[in-house]
Amino acid sequence: MTEYILQQMVNALAVGSEYALLALGLAIVYSIVNLVNFAHGELITVSGYALFFSAAVWVQNPWLLIALAVLCSTLAAAALERVAFRSIRNASLNTGMLTAFGVSIIIQNVFVIFVATRPRAVQTPAFLAEIVTIGGLRFPVLQVVETLTTAVAILALVVLLRSTTIGLAMRAAARDFTTVRLMGVRANRVIQVAFLISGLLAGIAAVFIFSRRGAVDPFMGFVPVLKAFVACVIGGLGSLPGAVLGGLLLGMFEVFLQVVLPADAAAYRDAIAFSVVGLVLVLYPQGLLGKRVELGDKEA
Amino acid sequence: MRHLGRTLAVSALPVLCLLALAALIQTFAEPFQVRLAYAFFMNLVLALGLQVFMGNSGVVSFGHLGFMGVASYAVAILTIPVALKATMIPDAPFGLAGVELSPLVAALIAFALVLVLAFLSGFLVSRLSGAAAEIFTLALLVIAYVVFTAWIDLTRGQRSLYGIPVTSGLGFAAAVACVSVVVARLFRDSDLGLQLRASSEDTLAARAMGVHIGRLRHIAWVISALIVGAAGVLHATYLGAIGPNSFYFSQTFLVMAMIILGGMRSVSGTILGVLAISVGNEIARTLESGPVVLGVDLPEMFGLTGFFLGAVIVATMIWRRDGILGDIEFETLFRRRKAPSKGGEA
Repeated sequence: MTEYILQQMVNALAVGSEYALLALGLAIVYSIVNLVNFAHGELITVSGYALFFSAAVWVQNPWLLIALAVLCSTLAAAALERVAFRSIRNASLNTGMLTAFGVSIIIQNVFVIFVATRPRAVQTPAFLAEIVTIGGLRFPVLQVVETLTTAVAILALVVLLRSTTIGLAMRAAARDFTTVRLMGVRANRVIQVAFLISGLLAGIAAVFIFSRRGAVDPFMGFVPVLKAFVACVIGGLGSLPGAVLGGLLLGMFEVFLQVVLPADAAAYRDAIAFSVVGLVLVLYPQGLLGKRVELGDKEA
Repeated sequence: MRHLGRTLAVSALPVLCLLALAALIQTFAEPFQVRLAYAFFMNLVLALGLQVFMGNSGVVSFGHLGFMGVASYAVAILTIPVALKATMIPDAPFGLAGVELSPLVAALIAFALVLVLAFLSGFLVSRLSGAAAEIFTLALLVIAYVVFTAWIDLTRGQRSLYGIPVTSGLGFAAAVACVSVVVARLFRDSDLGLQLRASSEDTLAARAMGVHIGRLRHIAWVISALIVGAAGVLHATYLGAIGPNSFYFSQTFLVMAMIILGGMRSVSGTILGVLAISVGNEIARTLESGPVVLGVDLPEMFGLTGFFLGAVIVATMIWRRDGILGDIEFETLFRRRKAPSKGGEA
């Protein structure tokens, strides 16, 4: 029984890490340009097709495949910023969100037009599918590696934000972009780096998502980004620690429901999860770690 | 209700145009064109419902399709003949498997159900604003969809419910659309609508003037849910078969594209947007199947309709953020422009 509980806890951590990685990408973009980037999920799809096509042209080395997938989503994020989101930079929250939805629909349908609706099998390194024994307990390698990778990625992000000039500029831009620009920092550069980071995090998450799913289809990015968005809002939109907390909580809650719910109620899992999300929002409209903003505050 | 007379007068133009369109199509068009026109009027009702909430309050709602689904399922479950229900949903709860009502009674019950659900959820929606309100409506849509797909005893889950008596027609849909136009205009021009619109432009100023934003949002939410519910009734009573996927994200985005393109802040803009997207969507659908145009055999391109929708949303957002009409109505277009700054180019 203890073994089962421990295994489920690692499972919960792994799912939570996946959401946290995606939510962090959304949050870092939101904190700087106030854009809820719903096209974030399509970065996962881009990674998936990168894996599919590079495997098709005989890239055999699994590490090279992973690097390619992460690289593609990172570049795709920067490209999206340049092509679509730059022209709506100072628009309202709604404009940004609806544009992002539009971009997401376009990318999905480009894949439908040029690839196919059918899922395509995607290969990820074989060792991720193995089982590792730690202290007499058996855990899937995937879950352990996913949790550790997420921890490393978050640490690296903290280091970047705290001890580099661009990190300082990004943290400052999240508070007051105008002043940052008056200090002589290039706005485009700060924003591009934010998108690059979000793409990188999405690429890392994508590798784990595909190890679990094993296939890519044009519409698969939607559900993960929905969950990530929910995680962001629970944690407090625009707060990076909030995004990580929200992601972990949401993932753990989902696994908890999966374990606890009886079989005939399992179909309602998402309904219960989203009801709780709605409740959290009503109680904490700013999210768990968000700043409480009064109407008319200068720093909103 | 000071503006009642004026509002009725200015709604006459779109209403007459819509009725004339319906009459023309009913008289001269092929059956498949009548079906397209029916879909147009149904989407118009849906879009107007969304406009009442989104256009006036400025809060984007992803949740309204849930109300449409509730109304559709209510009508379907109450009107399908008992004999058919015995094979499809024999274990329906509350003894619904043995109930068979006339479409009118069923529609009234559907409205009552939507009213109750909208009234209750409205308490929560009106407390929230910004991204929190939007994610909340999104959560409502997901919850509704999960219930439609998971409550198999009642809804048959992913499989469709069929055998709903087909009692609606193009004339009825057009009539409902016209009523929706008038209701949407009445709300927009009323004091409540004006205050709500003011609050969406400057929350702080509106609150300082004593506008009770939460209560106004609640009212707009309930009215818009009822109009959307009417679209649900139209959906079920014409198609005769319904499934959960008509009430989820793809349909949401279709309607979203319609009201964004036309300009969600005006009723006229919404009508225009529904018309434009309906026509564009049909053209895209024709191109998708790879037709022969001017002697050129085009290839099949599935996904073109979706691509078209996404492109319309992005293009509108980049070049004309407030939609084609912005926040002006038809009658303003015909009035002589006094100052170019306040006129057509919003």
